[in-house]
Amino acid sequence: MNTAEAKNTTDTEILIIGTGFSGLGMAIALKRAGKRRFLLLERAHDVGGTWRDNTYPGAACDIQSHLYSYSFRPNPRWSRVYAPQPEIHQYLRQAANEECILPHIEFGANVLSANWDNSLEKWVVLTAKGKFTAPVLISAAGHLSDPAYPEIPGLDSFQGKLFHSAQWDHSYDTAGKRIGVIGTGASAIQIVPELAKAARHLTVFQRSAPYVIPRRDHVYSEAEKGMFARFPETAQDFRDELFWGNESRFPQRKQVPAFIEMISSMALNHLRQQVPDEKLREKLTPKYAIGCKRILISNDYYPTLMQPHVALCTDGIESVDGNSIVLRSGERVDLDLLVVATGFEATDLPIAELIHGLNGQRLSEKWRDGGQAFACTTVSGFPNLFMMLGPNTGLGAGSMLYMIETQINYIKEAADYLTENQIILNPSPAAEKEYVESIYQRSAGTVWVDGGCSSWYLHPKSGRLTALWPDFMSQFRHENGTFSPNGYLISSRRPIDMEGLGTEV
Amino acid sequence: MALLKNIHTGKVSINGQSVTYYDSGESTVSGEAVLLLHGTGGSAENNFWALFPMLAMRHRVVALDFIDPDSADPDAEHYVQQVLEVIRTLRLSGITHLVGYSFGAVVGAAVAAHHGAFLKSLTLVAGWVKTDIQQQLRNDIWRTLYDENSKALAAFSVFTNFSQAFLNTKNAAEMEGLIKAVLAGPDRSKKMAFNRTVDLTNDLPRIRIPCLVVGCTQDQTAPIRHSRMLFGGIKDCRYAEINTGHGVVHERPSELFAMIDAFVRNAHDMPTGHILKNSHA
Repeated sequence: MNTAEAKNTTDTEILIIGTGFSGLGMAIALKRAGKRRFLLLERAHDVGGTWRDNTYPGAACDIQSHLYSYSFRPNPRWSRVYAPQPEIHQYLRQAANEECILPHIEFGANVLSANWDNSLEKWVVLTAKGKFTAPVLISAAGHLSDPAYPEIPGLDSFQGKLFHSAQWDHSYDTAGKRIGVIGTGASAIQIVPELAKAARHLTVFQRSAPYVIPRRDHVYSEAEKGMFARFPETAQDFRDELFWGNESRFPQRKQVPAFIEMISSMALNHLRQQVPDEKLREKLTPKYAIGCKRILISNDYYPTLMQPHVALCTDGIESVDGNSIVLRSGERVDLDLLVVATGFEATDLPIAELIHGLNGQRLSEKWRDGGQAFACTTVSGFPNLFMMLGPNTGLGAGSMLYMIETQINYIKEAADYLTENQIILNPSPAAEKEYVESIYQRSAGTVWVDGGCSSWYLHPKSGRLTALWPDFMSQFRHENGTFSPNGYLISSRRPIDMEGLGTEV
Repeated sequence: MALLKNIHTGKVSINGQSVTYYDSGESTVSGEAVLLLHGTGGSAENNFWALFPMLAMRHRVVALDFIDPDSADPDAEHYVQQVLEVIRTLRLSGITHLVGYSFGAVVGAAVAAHHGAFLKSLTLVAGWVKTDIQQQLRNDIWRTLYDENSKALAAFSVFTNFSQAFLNTKNAAEMEGLIKAVLAGPDRSKKMAFNRTVDLTNDLPRIRIPCLVVGCTQDQTAPIRHSRMLFGGIKDCRYAEINTGHGVVHERPSELFAMIDAFVRNAHDMPTGHILKNSHA
């Protein structure tokens, strides 16, 4: 690199892409360990990842907040069991601020490409804010970050107002409007009850019915919050109780009969109790095995669908024409607003398009039949790259924070190891293959593979389970919670050439 | 409701009684098996509906339904013989990791003390050494309610079996379900009579195989002190606690699974006297 280039280049020890729960958590761990040379690249102008972007009405987490938060930053004052989005976002902003992470963040730095430079022995990351280099690259770009749109002819030319649930236009007043919502996943069932409150008419377009179970939510009293604050161990006990409660549900996904019976009857009783109308109930009865797609929790979704100005449409969408949805039946539904709540690009992670490893190999090319990684974290041919919430780290029932914190520890130990020993880590193809095989073996017999539904958990090309972890969460930590050099090809770094490295941060 | 989709169910005959057993049948690389002994209110299915399939993801698992004797005062030997017969029938002698829960822990300790050669290891969950005054009081209340055919009996069992935290997660219908499950369970009278006079004092020093004791911190039925004494009294022993009531097999089966699995797979990593750390989320 020449001198002019070097001037515009920022060099550091560790680069992290993203400032959501993963990226911030990783940064906090590094900061607390006394590391000073790391940078976070953030495409937006605020921290928070998915909790910054998903501001739709009714947005909240489906995992209890005492569990869905950092174990190392407990918050005794969560307002309720399932905190709403603004509160979770605020929690992350406060974490970034109090842990002094903000000075390490480069905002507005949308990553354009990330290339391993073998002569520099560094990752070279081009962003909207310039060039960054570092020997270690951590992708914490998330898997629920890029909105996915359904393939419906004419959708682009819809004449009314249209936006994705993850890009809510709050300047648009939904009151008195004819509204359509496409999708019946986790976002949609939170949005629908909120929109119904003021809409003139609301149509929910359903492709397949979700299983819905009761939401055991309550507002915490001052006494409860005070107890959590004054006896932090009570909050930890509660967190453990919630964790093991989720962990104890894993055999559902392995289709163990007693577990299936219990969860199915919980969901179907909920439907029966909330929807007396047999015709509507039939439409809302899922036609696949429970757990094959995410099980949703809501107390107000079904009652909303029974309101006279709300319709559940299962006829299938043919196309979009003007300001109407044209159904397969030929019928038209006229709308002022169409909300697309069809989730995210979760099977083919968009960040993989931008990352190039040894010999310029593109990560998305390596992953064309689905993502795979050694220890669910590193990828053969991509030296010193660590993927947070990459392949096989999603959960059917559980808190992603557990997975994130497990990876934080692994990556921190790996980063220490390669810095101390001045080496480059690259998982061997054989070790990666063996590890990935063990994942596929464990996927066999799970409801995600056998359950007869189409979900983002399976890769569309290979049909492999690439999104989810197919074992106990505690097993994930047991396997992947501490770094070991076994399975890695290790090469020594050349002695450092201090010239041409650019500005050090 | 079945413990597993393709479970093998069989029967052994002992002293003129027929004992049902359940076998996951999947032999692991080690060829060893985990044998589960249920508690007072239980059958294999109602105690181990969760633990059995969890363990079966990694191990061959066997469980049996204890049959009470005709006599009014059962002794441990009666139940011990049923365990041994299942081990003999399935040819599991020397390769059995015995796991006893509550009443089953008492029986399991007796098996290990007198027939240790049949076993590879022993895990005692929510067991006790010698029935103490607090336990006798509960046993007496239970007996009075039982003799009076009281409607409060099932609710009393639920009340003493589970932790406050667990019960507080239940809604009205689920509370009713817990009570109904007790009513639907097997008669407990003979085992409760047995429970009133347990004394393993002389058995514990005879247990020479590797052992894991798991106590429950909020246990009102076999309070945690008993597990600590079991740990104190068994020579080659490790210890763990789980933060639940007596009904750990219902309240937190996954944490119990994780501990048993770790012990059975890696007992050599846990030296005698080792105390397992709880992993926190």
